[in-house]
Amino acid sequence: MSANILLHELRQNRKSILTWSTGLVVVIFIFFSLFTSFTKDAALMNDVLARFPEELRDAFGLGNLDLSSVEGYYAFSFVFCQLLMAIQAAGYGFGLLSADETELRADYLLSKPISRANVLTSKLTAALLSLLITDLVLAAATFSAIALFRGGMSYKPAAIGLVLLGGALFQLVFLSVGLLLSLLVRKIHSVTPYALGLAFGTYVLNAFSGVFQDVKLELLTPFKHFDPGYIVRYQALDRPFVLADLAIIVISIGLSYWLFYRRDIAAV
Amino acid sequence: MKIFLHELKRGAKSLLIWGGSLAMLIVIGVAKFAAFADNPASLAILDSMPKALLDSLNMSAFNLTTLSGFFGAMFTYFGLMGAFAAVMWGFDAAAREEREKTAEFSMVLPVSRAKLLSMKLLAALANCAALVLITWAVSLVSIQAYPPEAGLERFIRAEMVAMFLLEIFFLALGLLLGCALEKRRGGASIGLGLVLGAYFLFIISRMTDKLDFLKYLTPFRYFDPAEMLRGQGFEALPVILTSVFVVLFLLAAYTSFQRRDVFI
Repeated sequence: MSANILLHELRQNRKSILTWSTGLVVVIFIFFSLFTSFTKDAALMNDVLARFPEELRDAFGLGNLDLSSVEGYYAFSFVFCQLLMAIQAAGYGFGLLSADETELRADYLLSKPISRANVLTSKLTAALLSLLITDLVLAAATFSAIALFRGGMSYKPAAIGLVLLGGALFQLVFLSVGLLLSLLVRKIHSVTPYALGLAFGTYVLNAFSGVFQDVKLELLTPFKHFDPGYIVRYQALDRPFVLADLAIIVISIGLSYWLFYRRDIAAV
Repeated sequence: MKIFLHELKRGAKSLLIWGGSLAMLIVIGVAKFAAFADNPASLAILDSMPKALLDSLNMSAFNLTTLSGFFGAMFTYFGLMGAFAAVMWGFDAAAREEREKTAEFSMVLPVSRAKLLSMKLLAALANCAALVLITWAVSLVSIQAYPPEAGLERFIRAEMVAMFLLEIFFLALGLLLGCALEKRRGGASIGLGLVLGAYFLFIISRMTDKLDFLKYLTPFRYFDPAEMLRGQGFEALPVILTSVFVVLFLLAAYTSFQRRDVFI
């Protein structure tokens, strides 16, 4: 681990951390400022919904959501946060090593007396710290928004905490998969389209997932694995999926080390 | 002309990827529609959902058990994908050469900067048009599996026009970002952030009446599929607003590109 690289990367990420954190805080606060006006309708809806067969409710993705509770409403708004978090994490993953190559300083970095593994570890740690900071800001914003806007309704902090924990793991999936993909292609011209494609593609897949009771395409998207509605309803992470994701994270990062070791880096 | 063709060729892969994802979205969407089609129970469920939730998903005005209602709900996704693609293309038109260190070469070509930018912009515009055409074609093909509905094709045509206008808005915005931002690094992310921000404003502005004034701030609110479905055509104000913004963005983009200190 090289402290210099770590600090340099963190400094590089400073602005991006600030932007994404601000975005998340704004999203949470705006959603929660509408909480009271929303819950009135929602309670009514719950009564009606209860009379429908479960398959139909699932088809609308409503099976897990109780919008009249603080946790349920939080789960509803958290999906949008997840989209932002996914783009951020995928961006870090795709850019971690490719930014040096596109900006023509990879050969410079590798001429330093440190191993490639060392470079990757330092950069990975910096990315993890950046994501951690964002998550902490999000957690702080979440609990203050709830305190401000819940209007005397009680809630389970444990459920909210679990959603946030799920969010942090969820980011790791995008970070590691992004990193792996960036090493599999020959050259990345610009990080944003890749990050956007990965995050938004899986988001849309999730938005449509209700129908895929037969096709099971939704199994592919981490948005489904860390479905906040499920977490809130059962007060637990969806264990098989999360374990599979942990395996994906470990394998992706391991493969990334291997690929980076063998990567042909052009001297400019 | 050579520049235009060169840019077209350069953008072909990106167009293919975006067109492919949109086509997939439609195919998946229409497959989902099979679950709703002619199913009164699902209509009842929709009726029981709170208006704010439906509004935020842009579903309230539609009878989702019909194809036209379904395409109304899909419009948000068309617009969003088009906007993402357009803002990237606009940004790339201005910024790609500097990023890839070919700016020096294009600058010594015997064409003015304005013409260079125009050619790139035209190529990006052609890409946007092609994306709309792909969406349109796939939509028309995918509805063949269902019995025809009166007015559906006219409705889809109106949606495609609206999607194209949205694309032009974000294309101009992306071009401005590419021309005006000092540092090219992270510029694409700013464009992306603006699209996401506009989308979020759109969701929020529909959740409660109190925030209705936000509709002037987000182009996603300019074109309401519900009105297109009723066959009223477009209101004047959104079209005027879009044109004004586009002209402003383009003016600012060209001005700053003329004076740009190109990084070589």
